[in-house]
Amino acid sequence: MPLLKDMEPIVKKFYDGVAEGRYWGRRCKECGAIEFPPHLGCNTCGYHETEWVELSGHGTLRSFVIPGIQNDKPYLKAIGAYGYGAVELDEGPIYTFVVFGGKKKVVKGLQQRLADGEAIGVHAKPIAREVPLKSGSDEMVPWSELCFELDEVAE
Amino acid sequence: MKVGKHARSVSIVGVGCTPFTNFEDHPETKGMSEGDAFGYAALEAIVDAGLEPRDIQYFYHGAANPFMIGDSLTPNMQVADWFGVRGIGSVHHSEACCTGYVALQEAAMAVASGEFDIVLSGAVDLAASLPVVGAPGSFRREFPLEEMLPSIPMVYDRAYGRPLDSAFGISFDNWINEYRWTYGLSDTDVDNALNGMAKSLRRAAVLNPLGFYDEDFDQVAAANGMASADEFLTSMFNPKVTQYLRVTGFETKCDGAAAMVLMPTEMAVARGLDHKIIEVLGTGSAAYEGATLANEKSGTVRATAQAYELTGISPDEIDLFMVNDFFMAGDIVAAEECGYIPRGEAWKYAIEGRCAFDGDKPINTNGGRCNFGHAHGASGIADIVEAVKQMRGEAGATQMKKVPRTTMFRGFGGGQNVRVQVIRTHE
Repeated sequence: MPLLKDMEPIVKKFYDGVAEGRYWGRRCKECGAIEFPPHLGCNTCGYHETEWVELSGHGTLRSFVIPGIQNDKPYLKAIGAYGYGAVELDEGPIYTFVVFGGKKKVVKGLQQRLADGEAIGVHAKPIAREVPLKSGSDEMVPWSELCFELDEVAE
Repeated sequence: MKVGKHARSVSIVGVGCTPFTNFEDHPETKGMSEGDAFGYAALEAIVDAGLEPRDIQYFYHGAANPFMIGDSLTPNMQVADWFGVRGIGSVHHSEACCTGYVALQEAAMAVASGEFDIVLSGAVDLAASLPVVGAPGSFRREFPLEEMLPSIPMVYDRAYGRPLDSAFGISFDNWINEYRWTYGLSDTDVDNALNGMAKSLRRAAVLNPLGFYDEDFDQVAAANGMASADEFLTSMFNPKVTQYLRVTGFETKCDGAAAMVLMPTEMAVARGLDHKIIEVLGTGSAAYEGATLANEKSGTVRATAQAYELTGISPDEIDLFMVNDFFMAGDIVAAEECGYIPRGEAWKYAIEGRCAFDGDKPINTNGGRCNFGHAHGASGIADIVEAVKQMRGEAGATQMKKVPRTTMFRGFGGGQNVRVQVIRTHE
């Protein structure tokens, strides 16, 4: 039976880490697969125990969806041209994130490049978010959203 | 994972469904509450089964979002009296747009286990309007988009999928996009396929007396001064709202309720019914959170494998395929993944009209979510009602040329919960 001293808020450590530019996952103690973002159990082999592991924040784009007006987010567009993509981290786990592409033309061409088999590198790009504590409140709750960006944007 | 067979055979013996429409727009239904709607559907199903409410031993209540749409936390408690079953046990469940398929699985398990013999499973969502909080259930108000949109992300994980925003971003297009690049299709090929599917589905919905729409796309085009359905479907009146999906590729939100009655097949045979008995062969289940890679596809692959292994049927035995298509690309990609149409071919079948109710590979003979209408939690049961009517030969103007013997459902929803189910006429 877990006791209070054995428990910790996994999701909090993840977001605290993103705010500091550190990317925490959980590695399975049996099969070694990494949960990212982190969860308690292993979704690769179904084992019950995982442990913290720090990841590089670098990966490869595996698929990409270009937003239309139905799935566009103004707060993302204000930052730059973007889409939604599956990112395979260098350490193995795959999850989907917002991916910034620099220019609209680059974003529009990503699906063709993926279909052509190109390995497209991406790196973590945390962005600052805030929401009101409750409706109508002046008090804001700040947090960091983990997004990714094409390596070629930074080069 | 292998799924076990039911401990005893279970059949659907009665079905009922209200019109799928905006109740507030019609004098006949204006002021209808959740209790009224659930009651009408439930009583139709009970009478269809040759039973009375006193014969029902337990019931399931489904709704996608009872807190917001129904101003209710315990909706099963609030509809029981409406159809004369006060006092019997019941439970509410809520799996967003997958609710209606879960409704079949859970009710079938309850009968198969031997715990109950006669179970009703129904669902209701008055999704075209909102309740006037504090007033009686007959008072509804408009449901503007700005009030609906904030509720949609609530189907995604509050820890990661929602705040990272990818679950909402990828879900509409990720599978059809993969399909497009796998088979080397152009944007126009996908557009033509979706528009072809839309024409077939709308034609069925118009002919269905319970469906939302009264005009097919040729009539809509004419009303807008255009020469053809294709001209309308590709016009600025029907813009793309995601990379691939046009307005006509998204659900038509509406009000509706549907219900079914299940009992052991042996009991149904012994009682004798004035219509065919439809056996529930089984359910494959899967759930992949919205931000996980290829969520809808992954769930469909897993649940389909379970359904085929469990039932022992082969793909060529499926006569009718019903898909939750609240974004319409699902009709094409799921039909292939479930083995109903050969891989790489469904987009062409859609263009050629072969998936229409009168085609050789019918899909969603009631018109589906975008055309029959989408009363969220109730829609899966409306699919089951439609399939049962087709299998009995009671589908009226949209009856398939060959009365189907076996139907497969690919239900999904709620970011993304998947059920693949097979029903078959008992002989």
